Amino acid sequence: MSYEIAVLTSMSIAILFALSLNLITGFCGQVSLGHAAFYGIGAYVAAMLTKAGLALPIALIPAAVMAGAVGVLVGMASLRVRHDFLAITTMGVGFLFVGIVRKQDALGGEIGISGIPSVAFGRPGLLLLALICMVLFILLSIHIQRSWLGFAFDSISDDEDTARTFGIDVSKFKLLAFVVGTAGAGVAGGLYAHHIRFIGPDSFGFVESVTVLAMVIVGGIGSIAGVAVAAAALSTMPLWLQFVDDYKLLIYGSLIFITMRFAPTGLAGIVRTLWKKRQAQ
Amino acid sequence: MSLLNVRNVSVRFGGVDAVRDVSLTVESQQLLGFIGPNGAGKTTMMRIIMGMIRPQQGTVEFRGKDITNCSVHQRVQLGLALAQQIVKPLRTLTLLDNVALAAGARHMRNPLRAFLHIDRFEARDQAHKLLDFVGISDAANVFPGEVPLGFIKRMEVARALALEPGLLLLDEPLAGLNQTEARDLANLIASLVTPVRSVLLIEHNIGEVARICSDIYVQENGKRLMHDVTERVMASAALRQAYLGEYKA
Repeated sequence: MSYEIAVLTSMSIAILFALSLNLITGFCGQVSLGHAAFYGIGAYVAAMLTKAGLALPIALIPAAVMAGAVGVLVGMASLRVRHDFLAITTMGVGFLFVGIVRKQDALGGEIGISGIPSVAFGRPGLLLLALICMVLFILLSIHIQRSWLGFAFDSISDDEDTARTFGIDVSKFKLLAFVVGTAGAGVAGGLYAHHIRFIGPDSFGFVESVTVLAMVIVGGIGSIAGVAVAAAALSTMPLWLQFVDDYKLLIYGSLIFITMRFAPTGLAGIVRTLWKKRQAQ
Repeated sequence: MSLLNVRNVSVRFGGVDAVRDVSLTVESQQLLGFIGPNGAGKTTMMRIIMGMIRPQQGTVEFRGKDITNCSVHQRVQLGLALAQQIVKPLRTLTLLDNVALAAGARHMRNPLRAFLHIDRFEARDQAHKLLDFVGISDAANVFPGEVPLGFIKRMEVARALALEPGLLLLDEPLAGLNQTEARDLANLIASLVTPVRSVLLIEHNIGEVARICSDIYVQENGKRLMHDVTERVMASAALRQAYLGEYKA
């Protein structure tokens, strides 16, 4: 039973993490190759606070705030650079995070932080917390997609110069996407730290950013259901197949390539096409 | 008081004067034609008015307010709207949603307001009426990539109208259309002028401009050539010279 609980916790955290990137990249069209940095910020903040005696549900709040605050700074970069330049900038942020954490003794340096306390009610308690956070983020994503905020994101994602001609203050909307998305990643990171109970700088490197990007792309950029399914499948794949863990970058990189080349709308797009064909018959 | 008052604006791109010390006024309830040969700086002027280019010199006033330093979205919120020369439909949205997005622009004045508002029915209803007005309601649920250029040009006009602008800027809306399409669209443009709306029409199709506009502004090599009633402009030797070069009998 504890194995199943651990798998479900991993899946919930991965879905939350992937949906947080989906909000930035899928909804608002802002590419990010450094999303693991915000996952890491949340993990370190929550781990240090729970080690100091704070309960995890409360520690997740400053974890989200800190990740969101750094997200604003990176979002400001998105106001100056676009497309591939933004991708490179965010990738730089990811490397910067790992580089800084490695040199901070207070954060455990290269060794990282171990002995992260367990949550009240143990593993089932953490699973429940992860599920609550995941469901709340799914509901938030659905609401955003249905609201005029989602409509505005659609236009910005499509062509931000045209969006301006509708009177949309593109900068504010882009910053909001970064704040909410990175705060979500911060919460996911806080949960992850208490799931694994050990974190180090390498847990939040470029591979992790590519992994979460693969979840979004394979699921279907912008699709909540598609991204959730892809995140659930890809996060548990290393548990079923050991070699996936050994060749993570190769496998996830290949998945991104294959999806972008043959089915750029991802799983969600494939399902939509099949559904339309079936209805046409 | 003029609706739009552009005073002595100049813009240089590198070493080239795109617009030099140009002034232009648009009155309320006016359809003003804006013509000039290629390279006259017409689109640059349009972009200056919309705030896509900031002039190095001069001012832009709209409804008596200095908007020289306002951004594009602020100018749109104040009552300016643009249909661009190179059509820019949002390709992931249907024609209906392209227009609905503009019809509900007030819901997106700030992110919180946008987050709290869900209903799209009213905006879509308004968009349907506008698509019907420009004559393409049959294609409402089609994506821009699936219709001819003429449809997209009309959709752009509907989208700009959905913003309920006080001044509508149309940048070569007839370009790329055949004679019948151009005539139909020109008739539609002529009908857009109301007591609360003026139109500034940049166009190369001088025949249609002369047919529907009461006044014409002419620009050449980034400088104002003339601004007068249509009959006088069309009879002017300076206009013929601008388009055809030096005339010798």
